[in-house]
Amino acid sequence: MPLDRVEASTARQRLDGFLRGVERRALRMAEFATANREEALDLVQDAMLAFVRNYAAKPEADWPPLFHRVLDSRLTDWHRRNQVRSRWLSSWWPAKNDEEAEDPIATAPDPGEVGPLARLMGEDAGQALDVALKQLPLRQRQAFLLRIWEGLDVADTATAMRCGEGSVKTHLWRALNALRQALEAHR
Amino acid sequence: MKQPQDWTDRARALLDASAQHLDGATVSRLNQARQRALAVQAQRGASGWVWSRRLALAASLALAAVMFWPDARNGANPAATASAALSPEDAELLADGALELTDEPEFYAWLDADDEHNG
Repeated sequence: MPLDRVEASTARQRLDGFLRGVERRALRMAEFATANREEALDLVQDAMLAFVRNYAAKPEADWPPLFHRVLDSRLTDWHRRNQVRSRWLSSWWPAKNDEEAEDPIATAPDPGEVGPLARLMGEDAGQALDVALKQLPLRQRQAFLLRIWEGLDVADTATAMRCGEGSVKTHLWRALNALRQALEAHR
Repeated sequence: MKQPQDWTDRARALLDASAQHLDGATVSRLNQARQRALAVQAQRGASGWVWSRRLALAASLALAAVMFWPDARNGANPAATASAALSPEDAELLADGALELTDEPEFYAWLDADDEHNG
C-alpha cells in the first residue's frame, strides 16, 4: 500500500476516534440549546461536516476547541434564528439577557454548603440538572458545558465561543450561580 | 472539607451518564453523521491523491521528452537539426541563411571526388 494511502487511513482513524469521542456530548449540548433531538442531530451533523472540511488538517491537539467552535457557531445561528422567529410569533416570550446586573455577593455560594446536587439522587438529580441547564442563557450554558463538562481550559473555551477569556469567566460565574440557585429550588 | 464547587463533579457525572445512555436509534444516527463527515474527508483525500499522481505523471513525461527526444526542442527549425553535423562556423552561416544544403547526392559525390582529385 502506498505511503500516502497509509497516512490517509491513519488520519481517518484518528479523525473517526475524535468524532466518536465527542459526538454524544455534542448531541447533548445541542439538545440543551434546541430542546429537540432531531434538530440537535442535524446541528451535530452539520458541525461534523464543517469541522472535517475546515479543520481536519489542523494538529490533533487543536481539534477539541475547533470542533466546539464550529458547533457553538451552529448553536448560536440556531438560537438567533429561533429568537427572530419567536419575536414574530409571540411578543410575550422574553429572551433571557446575559448582561442582566447581578449582585455577586447575593449570588455567591455559601462556603459551608456542599452543593445542591448532593441532596438529589439518581434520575431526580439528572432531570433537575437538565431543566436548570435548559433554562440558562446560551452563552452561560456553553461556558459551563465547555469548561466543566468538556474540560476545555479558559483559553480553549474562549476560542470555541469566539470571545475573550474574561467573558468566559463572567459567563461561567453567572452560570454556576444560576445553576446553584435553580438546583436549590429542588430541595 | 468539601469545596463549594464540588457539586460540579456530580454535575459532570450526571451529564456523562446522560450522554452514555442514548437510545440505539440516536447512536445509529450519530454514527451515520460521523461516517458522512469522514466520507467527505476521504473524497477530498482521494481527489488530492489522484491529482498528485496526474501531476507527477505529467512532470515525468515532460522530463522524458526533454531528455530522450532532444529533436523535439528544435523540431520547428529543420535547419538547426542539420547544424548538429556541421562545424560551428557552418552552423552560424546556416542559422543566418547564408548556406543552403541540397538534397542532391550527385552534388556530394562531386564534392568528394573533387576533394580527392585536389589531394
